[in-house]
Amino acid sequence: MPGNDSTDDVRTDGGGGIVPPDDETPTWSERKERSQGLARLTYEYFERARREDQDLRQESSYVERDVLGFPAWPHEMIRNLALTSFFVGMIILLAATLPPHIAPPANSGSTPLIILPDWYLYWSFGLLKLGPLNPELSLLGGQKLLADQTYGVLANLVIVGMIAVVPFLNKGSARRPVEQPFWAAVGMSGVVFAVTIAALSVKNLVPMDAHLLFDLTFLLPFVGATMTYAILKAMREGYMFDLNRRYYRLRPPK
Amino acid sequence: MSLEPKEDYDREDWMRERDLTTVESMYLTVLMWFDKRLRLVDYLELLEDMYYKINLQMPKSHTEQYNLDNKFWYWYPLYALGSFSTLAYIVAAISGALLGFYYSPAAAAANGQPTVAYESITFIMTDLNFGFFLRSLHRWSAQVMTAAVFLHMLRVYFTGAYKEPRELNWIIGIILISLTMVFGYSGYLLPWDQLAFWAGTIGVNMALSIPLIGEWTAQLLFGGFTLSQATLQRMYILHVFFLPFIVTTVIAIHIGIVWMQGIAEPH
Repeated sequence: MPGNDSTDDVRTDGGGGIVPPDDETPTWSERKERSQGLARLTYEYFERARREDQDLRQESSYVERDVLGFPAWPHEMIRNLALTSFFVGMIILLAATLPPHIAPPANSGSTPLIILPDWYLYWSFGLLKLGPLNPELSLLGGQKLLADQTYGVLANLVIVGMIAVVPFLNKGSARRPVEQPFWAAVGMSGVVFAVTIAALSVKNLVPMDAHLLFDLTFLLPFVGATMTYAILKAMREGYMFDLNRRYYRLRPPK
Repeated sequence: MSLEPKEDYDREDWMRERDLTTVESMYLTVLMWFDKRLRLVDYLELLEDMYYKINLQMPKSHTEQYNLDNKFWYWYPLYALGSFSTLAYIVAAISGALLGFYYSPAAAAANGQPTVAYESITFIMTDLNFGFFLRSLHRWSAQVMTAAVFLHMLRVYFTGAYKEPRELNWIIGIILISLTMVFGYSGYLLPWDQLAFWAGTIGVNMALSIPLIGEWTAQLLFGGFTLSQATLQRMYILHVFFLPFIVTTVIAIHIGIVWMQGIAEPH
């Protein structure tokens, strides 16, 4: 090291430590502004969104106030703790009073009389028994396009898919079933179908002819949907009657 | 000049002149020790935020604000189903970890003789202190979780809580309910009794009848086209390794989104 021969030690860490930012160093916002491509696009979008929010806030006459509510600590926490202990206690009570048993060890040689999955898979198990609905195509000479079991497995996907598209079909701010009797009816048919298809999968649960059970499995959801629709419509008429009565009392018809 | 290098900011003197209590000075010492190593100061804002959150007031809910409690009180238990299923999940996780100390997924023969897996269940149920209750607790919390998740879905449907800004969470919920059922199914197979074996047989046949990828799925999930040791091993790893990580993460995302968007209350 020229001009510095009094010291023997050599700095190996690059020297100087961390350099503090000077005027040349770009700030973070400058860096963001200088960036390109997707990062730039993101930055521009968020700047724009922030400005829109600001404009909306300035336009509106809404005054933000402190909302007087329940303090999180300790009130809310104590309430949560109480509810949690109650629920966990219920599970412990169930576990203590109704313990599970264990079946004999696995034996591929002896098929048990009743083969069933756990109750929450009954609906899926029932969908495997949709063979009679699998169309025999005359184009294929009375052959089925899919094996019955394949048909049943695909039915699972159809059900899940139907549930998944609901929010993309039904929009708006309506919350109560009375406001949209149609969608409440659709939901009720789904609930009833879940129950009937489960009953179909257990087969011997309901003492009736297998064909009748199969037909009822698909009929009852429609019955349930129709009843729900009718009841909710009637309730809505009732609400409208109340509203109208007040309205007419206010401004009697000539 | 002393040989002992003095601290840059002379914090010890500063602490002495503050005349702190023991608790305060211990707290500060620990804080400074961590700050020196982890640069906590950079995360100070987050820490402050957490500190003040303790004193946060929960905002008034829609029903409180507009005095609708007289109309909607009977909905309230239905609004607890989501947290009820989360609680049941936590109970199942704890009891399942304890059961895992004693269970071994080994020697899955199907000749009617008790296997190692079956023997470990009988050991838990007959010899282990509180084992019978532990298994019962695990099973019931799983059942309760599944039931609560189903009812939670119905509540969300019938109160229209899945609507416009919340579609994403509805989809995540469908994924979660499916994963919950896979959780239950894989756990159902672990005792390797008759019920487990024949439920497993149905599962393999279902997997095999998926078009195009059926055989691949059966290999992946069940380790073959018939039930064997590989099936039990895979169900075990699915049940105690993959699913806990995946489901916990997805639940966190699900609840996080509810937190961000707020609860959709009826009105």
